[in-house]
Amino acid sequence: MSHHDVVVVGIGLAGLTAAVRLAESGARVLVLAKGVGATHLSGGTIDVLGYVPERIERPVDSIGGLPAQHPYALVGADGIAAAVGWFKERVASGSLAPYSYVGGIKENLLLPSALGVPRPSAVVPVTMAGGDLRGGGGAPVCVVGFRALKDFHAPLLADNLTRAGARARAIELDLAPEARADPNSLAFARGFDDPGFRAEVTAQVVGRLGAEERVAFPAVLGSARPHGVWAELEERFGRPVFEVPTLPPSVPGMRVFAILREALRSAGGRVILNAVVTGAEQEGGRVRALRARAGLREERHGADWVVLATGGFASGGLALDSRWTAHEPALGLPVAGVPEPGAERFRPDYFDDHPIGRAGVAVDRELRPVDQAGDRVLENVLVAGATLAGAEPWREKSGDGISLATGHRAAELVLAATSAATAGRAG
Amino acid sequence: MSRRGSDPFRDTPNSMRGVPQLRAEVLVIGGGATGAGVAWDAALRGFDVVLVERGDLAEGTSGRFHGLLHSGGRYVVKDPVAAEECVVENTILRAVIPDCIEDTGGLFVTTPDDDPAYGDRFMDGCRAAQLPAEEIEVADALRREPRLNPRIRRAFTVPDASIDAWKTVWSFARGAAAHGARILTYHRVTDLHVSDGAVSGARLRNELTGEDLDIEAGFILNASGAWAAQILHMAGIEDVGVVPGKGIMIAMNHRLVDTVINRCTMPADGDILVPIRTVSVIGTTDIRAADPDEIPVTQAEVDQMLDDGERLVPGFREARALRVWAGVRPLFQDARAGEVKDTRDVSRTHAVVDHRERDGIGGLLTMSGGKLTTLRLMAQDIVDAMCAQLGEERPCRTREERPPGNEDGDSYRLGSRLRKREKTLQDEQLICECELIGRARLEEAMRRRGGESLDDIRRSLRLGMGPCQGGFCIYRATGILHAVDRLDGEEASASLRHFLQERWKGVWPILYGDQLRQARLDDWIFQGLLDVEHV
Repeated sequence: MSHHDVVVVGIGLAGLTAAVRLAESGARVLVLAKGVGATHLSGGTIDVLGYVPERIERPVDSIGGLPAQHPYALVGADGIAAAVGWFKERVASGSLAPYSYVGGIKENLLLPSALGVPRPSAVVPVTMAGGDLRGGGGAPVCVVGFRALKDFHAPLLADNLTRAGARARAIELDLAPEARADPNSLAFARGFDDPGFRAEVTAQVVGRLGAEERVAFPAVLGSARPHGVWAELEERFGRPVFEVPTLPPSVPGMRVFAILREALRSAGGRVILNAVVTGAEQEGGRVRALRARAGLREERHGADWVVLATGGFASGGLALDSRWTAHEPALGLPVAGVPEPGAERFRPDYFDDHPIGRAGVAVDRELRPVDQAGDRVLENVLVAGATLAGAEPWREKSGDGISLATGHRAAELVLAATSAATAGRAG
Repeated sequence: MSRRGSDPFRDTPNSMRGVPQLRAEVLVIGGGATGAGVAWDAALRGFDVVLVERGDLAEGTSGRFHGLLHSGGRYVVKDPVAAEECVVENTILRAVIPDCIEDTGGLFVTTPDDDPAYGDRFMDGCRAAQLPAEEIEVADALRREPRLNPRIRRAFTVPDASIDAWKTVWSFARGAAAHGARILTYHRVTDLHVSDGAVSGARLRNELTGEDLDIEAGFILNASGAWAAQILHMAGIEDVGVVPGKGIMIAMNHRLVDTVINRCTMPADGDILVPIRTVSVIGTTDIRAADPDEIPVTQAEVDQMLDDGERLVPGFREARALRVWAGVRPLFQDARAGEVKDTRDVSRTHAVVDHRERDGIGGLLTMSGGKLTTLRLMAQDIVDAMCAQLGEERPCRTREERPPGNEDGDSYRLGSRLRKREKTLQDEQLICECELIGRARLEEAMRRRGGESLDDIRRSLRLGMGPCQGGFCIYRATGILHAVDRLDGEEASASLRHFLQERWKGVWPILYGDQLRQARLDDWIFQGLLDVEHV
């Protein structure tokens, strides 16, 4: 049986944030994950808070007004700001530097979605920031699409942007990266890594731009050296260029994954993928070791601390069975917010507020899981990310912010507890 | 939202689009299996036919059934006439619409909760109906269907099959159009014109444009199923009712069985499991509904279906449910024939109601009752009755003629779509990975239909019917619809929202396990990434 200071379960934004923060502070960290997931789905923006449910301009002003059960109520605006600062710094000095993030929790940018909806987002890749639509839409937008990329439709985007009050039009190119049928966003990003492909794109676009226009591209501007690709296009076009997230797989999400995973590796953290945590050995309200299934093997991993960041229902971090009982499959933690059997779980209108929408693991202020009575279930387990109860991340546009802030807070809490223990022993 | 296009066969030469006054010999009301079959039969006999449907073809009961082409076994004890009809029609349909049918075969099994003695009555009934059934060893049944409850006590084979209702209806409708019929979808009948003791036509409303349209027709065949009484009220016939019998069905994401499984007992709830295409469908309930347009599925009904499934296939609850829906059986109730208590006790045979005899209104016939398996016979009977009233001798040809789409004469096999597609799979964009729908096929369907409802395209192509329920393909299809049909962003986005709402209706009552996980991923895409809510 291996032993680590901290075992982090899950490798989405929350798990990676906790793992990197801990490893960089000297902890021996092991990440167990079923597979990569959430980062590859997210658009790559850190949405902190966009709707409550009406659209808000300044997340920092609305965080205090959230219900007490909301994860943000546990970390507070200062905690979110600290996590955002840490993340921006980590990306800016990371393996894809000078690729970086801009923004903060004081105000939201409004960036177009692939459907052309102005979406509020707080902290965004520098390659997307030029799409800000605040203040009457800003400069007109020329959306460049590729007919071969089915996960991004430039004319639809431009039409809906126009409806939303911006000035926009679309051009579609027949270019596609070579040697791959039906290329997805990642294939296009690899195409943009190639100077020859970039030159072809530039040549087909450059003469067709209006004087005032900025240029939108699907978020596929390079996977290996995204900042260089983006900066080169801005220079060639002589105007702002920005990316718009596509359907998954998300290239900007994969960049976040690559940066944080490399940071973890260089800080000495270990990752085991295809490891499914199936339970824990407990003693006196503490987890001593986790059991994980990797292929046909069952392994035990000893840990002083566990950070559970396995995601919500979408990621398999929470499950609901056909008898309508919810459970948390890794550690069997209590799940809060699930309507009683027989009670309404979903409403017939898709865009309604669904009673089960905020289900998850409830925690105390130190992110320890609690039962229905509010009593702590385990002393050395902290829960972060979409597993937490109390939020509706997609409707609120808060998912990335919650994962980042609670992952970061979990690491801070573990570090504080271990340094207190060390200080205690030293004294 | 301005919507155009309503005639899916607008390229047919007879089309009289844009003319506010239509004439036809025969007006068929209802675009389900019955109406399409009637239009096909009448057009083949040389009548000038117009079929009107208030929504899309097969959007009502026909598109909401379990997909079972009855051998007749279900009715041999309780309703021998219905059983005999099924035996004959099952054979004919296999010959005339082979592409719509998969020869799965069927099993009747005695579960631990069923009386084994019923099996003897069942076999007697099969012999009387000349239904080729055979009792086999339980061990053989389990070898054939390994997931079947190992505690079954008896098993009988029958020639059940599964039938694709959408394909069937489209096939007959296309056949009718090829013989000159005009098919008007999204046209609602708002009034029947009656003068001098006979019908003379109807007032229609184009549901997409809101325009009225008058149609002059000497004969009206009311094939509107559960909605038949609403039509008759327009002719002042108030004392005919339809008892809508609500049945819910759940499609499971896999073929848990490859043979149709029936419980060998008197017909009851949750006793049929039908493998159809890539899914299997469990059905059904029978609950008296007040309004055929208000048939919500409750969580209690879902629970009951899952328990019934568990009885046939242990572990059923662990399997992934894909979608749930309810349909309404058109069970007729004539106020002059007494009160009906249990809708299941109403005969499943059909009858042609002649309103000249019954109500003194000539030129109006109503098809009452019936079921999809006997749709051809139903059509024959009502068109025969029309010919009799008209005093014309025009023999029925639907026993021999194959409607379009069945040219090669091979019945559907699981995997045939992949076999057809896999050579060229890499040559174009695959828009719906679950159902293997390429971009060219989607664009062709959008052009042909000329409508802008993604939900209609779902029914014709199975777009978004797979495990992800449109999670990945529907944004793509919206973009393509916008490009192909020159819809503006508002129309395209409205169609996307409409699709999401229609999809939601069929998934929320079964959201547990992997399908809940899928739904949350779809929320991530539509709400998180695209922000459809605020489009």
